[in-house]
Amino acid sequence: MTTVEAVGTRRVRRYHLALIGVALAIVLLSLVRVLAGSTDLTSSGTFAIALAFAVPIGLAGLGGLWAERAGVVNIGLEGMMVLGTWFAGWAGYQWGATAAVVAGLLGGALGGLVHAIATVSFGVDHIISGVAINLIGPGVTRFLSEVLYAEGSPANEAGAGITSSPTLSSPAPEVSLPLFSSGSDWLGKLENTHWFLLSDVAGILRGLTHEVNVLIIVAVALIPLSYYVLWRTAFGLRLRSCGENPWAAESLGVNVYLTKYIAVVISGALAGLGGVFLVFVATKYVEGQTGGRGFIGLAAMIFGNWRPGGLAAGASLFGYADGLQLRSSQAVTGLFLLGALLLILYVGMRLRRGPLGDQGAGHYTVVGLSALGAAVFFWLWLTVEALPSEFVFITPHVLTLLVLSVASQRLRMPKADGVPYRRGDQH
Amino acid sequence: MGGVTLLRNKFGKLAVSTLAGAMLMVTAACGGGTDSGTAASPEASKSGLKVGLAFDVGGRGDKSFNDSAYAGLERAQKELGAEIKDLSPAGDGSNRGALLEQLAQAGYNPIIGIGFAYEADVKKVAAEYPDLQFAIVDSGSSGPNVTGLTFAEHQGSYLAGVAAALKSKSGHIGFVGGVKGALIEKFEAGFVAGAKATKPDIKIASEYLAPEGQFDGFKAPEKGKAEAEKMFQDGVDIVYHAAGDSGVGVFQATVEANKNGGGKWAIGVDSDQALTIKEADQQKIIMTSMLKRVDNGVYEFIKAFKDGAKGGQTVAYDLKVDGVGLSTTGDHISDVQAKVDEAKAKIVSGEITVPDKP
Repeated sequence: MTTVEAVGTRRVRRYHLALIGVALAIVLLSLVRVLAGSTDLTSSGTFAIALAFAVPIGLAGLGGLWAERAGVVNIGLEGMMVLGTWFAGWAGYQWGATAAVVAGLLGGALGGLVHAIATVSFGVDHIISGVAINLIGPGVTRFLSEVLYAEGSPANEAGAGITSSPTLSSPAPEVSLPLFSSGSDWLGKLENTHWFLLSDVAGILRGLTHEVNVLIIVAVALIPLSYYVLWRTAFGLRLRSCGENPWAAESLGVNVYLTKYIAVVISGALAGLGGVFLVFVATKYVEGQTGGRGFIGLAAMIFGNWRPGGLAAGASLFGYADGLQLRSSQAVTGLFLLGALLLILYVGMRLRRGPLGDQGAGHYTVVGLSALGAAVFFWLWLTVEALPSEFVFITPHVLTLLVLSVASQRLRMPKADGVPYRRGDQH
Repeated sequence: MGGVTLLRNKFGKLAVSTLAGAMLMVTAACGGGTDSGTAASPEASKSGLKVGLAFDVGGRGDKSFNDSAYAGLERAQKELGAEIKDLSPAGDGSNRGALLEQLAQAGYNPIIGIGFAYEADVKKVAAEYPDLQFAIVDSGSSGPNVTGLTFAEHQGSYLAGVAAALKSKSGHIGFVGGVKGALIEKFEAGFVAGAKATKPDIKIASEYLAPEGQFDGFKAPEKGKAEAEKMFQDGVDIVYHAAGDSGVGVFQATVEANKNGGGKWAIGVDSDQALTIKEADQQKIIMTSMLKRVDNGVYEFIKAFKDGAKGGQTVAYDLKVDGVGLSTTGDHISDVQAKVDEAKAKIVSGEITVPDKP
């Protein structure tokens, strides 16, 4: 009884902590926005792009989650995503957006199926099979383009080329929140007043609700749905047991092969859906448009400690940094101020915990370095007018690397992730 | 990177290095074995002229730079009776050198590399096959059997800048470059110079989609769209792009910006994009395109080769020989054509020197 209660209160506390964290981040961002005068830090445009950039990464990450929770390492996400983009483009130009979604899901699932056959049935090393799929994906799609989009084909007449499909015959529907972000657009009006905090919250909300692609809503809904299925259903328990200890699962009557097959095929379908989203944004398939997002999704999943909420946070972070970089190179300098404020906050928290001497000598160094870092960031923000573009381009990567190295100290992957499993083997 | 630490615990160091190696392989070999486009001449080679051409990243069907080169190749096929073969590189362009080798071994002569990225590969392969003639577009000659075909993009972009400055109502225009580097900066420099010379107080926003060497900036429509959207929200009303396939995103953003009050325009690049783009709503918002007559360059080179010309020099296609210029499809710039022609005359006469660096 007591343990149940303890678990309950801890969960509540973690949930509250996350909320407080988000609120604090918004307050900090709006403070930096006012001080640095770069409105793009919290503008609805930035958040709309951040959301659009985070979705394919998040979907790829979810794909990785499903496979790895069942014990199959999936670095073939990129290749499956490429298959998703091609099939979405091919079906989309002929039969519209709905067909694009179906075809993209199937294309990605096909990649997943190949991976499942290789790793589950034939016991091929997961990394090798994944690499093979990353090679096969672009190869197969280029071949299909050469056959179906060649000079003189009907698709070519409609605007296709070796490297791109014709435009989708119907665009993906977009929805807005009535009154708040369309029509009388209350949030938009509030955002344009540039009041402290209020306008920032309005900008963020408007970015997340104005002309949102329906696939974004589906993708966001898939995160709690994945959590529910994997952690709250009997099927999810069986699936995760295949990732933790397939031999124990087998002894309890779980069909490990079948479960792994299902998980990896769903994984591929989710990666394919990420590809469909890219096609929706560009309104057509363009060769190479995945741009390594499958790998970034995998990193987001590891950052998120193989959990849906964590990977969503990782994907959002990368999406935001990438969107901000594109929106405004000037706003990126505002991040210096943000960094300085964060470090000052950290030093404050460290000092409140009691005299430094009680916490061991190493803490002097940590606090000292943090204070120095804050000073350097603050000085940089004051002196640097505009960053050289070379630095602006790498901001998202540097930011991700920093957060990864700070936040990802205590990760635990599924215990039997990547371990080959043969039915009936002793372990 | 906690993930790597974990992996190391899990698989041992060997496995981690294998993984790292595998990822490298992926980037290196991504479609390294992909097939390439071919187009054999229907009426075989009457003249014994066999022309091989290797496209830039994006390949055939990019509605822009590569397709313009292909138009020149096709003209050579029709008018000079050449047998032609064209190859498109892998998605990341890693097999450029292999394509040139392939053409050389198959006995094609001359061989043309499209795009400055071929510079090193053309130099190397041309040295290996001294008996064959090579040409490279967007780069200077690098050997006795290499002809450089360069274009004065800055001069054409100057005219685009003049037209944009005259047509802009908000006094705020924008430039979207695909990948940072000397070539695309020529476009930017000319555009800015032309606009400033026409209206000294004009505001110009100038952005790139990817840093130098990262060629995916030419094929990221979603980034082009995001960048152009931002510009339109800031009050820009005309955006000029030099971003390859990413330009499609700029056109999409322009169409959408016109939904909330019209008067927003995009300027295309390389080919006459109001013709090469198939979407009707996008055709309507392309004010003009900065033409880069790669087709002329390719055709003239093949013709000269047939007439016995040898390489070793760089041929510059500038405004004087109409190697660059502005398209007039849709008649959107007819009201400012006189001023554009005036600027053109001044550049040709040497009265205006257009900078090629920003």
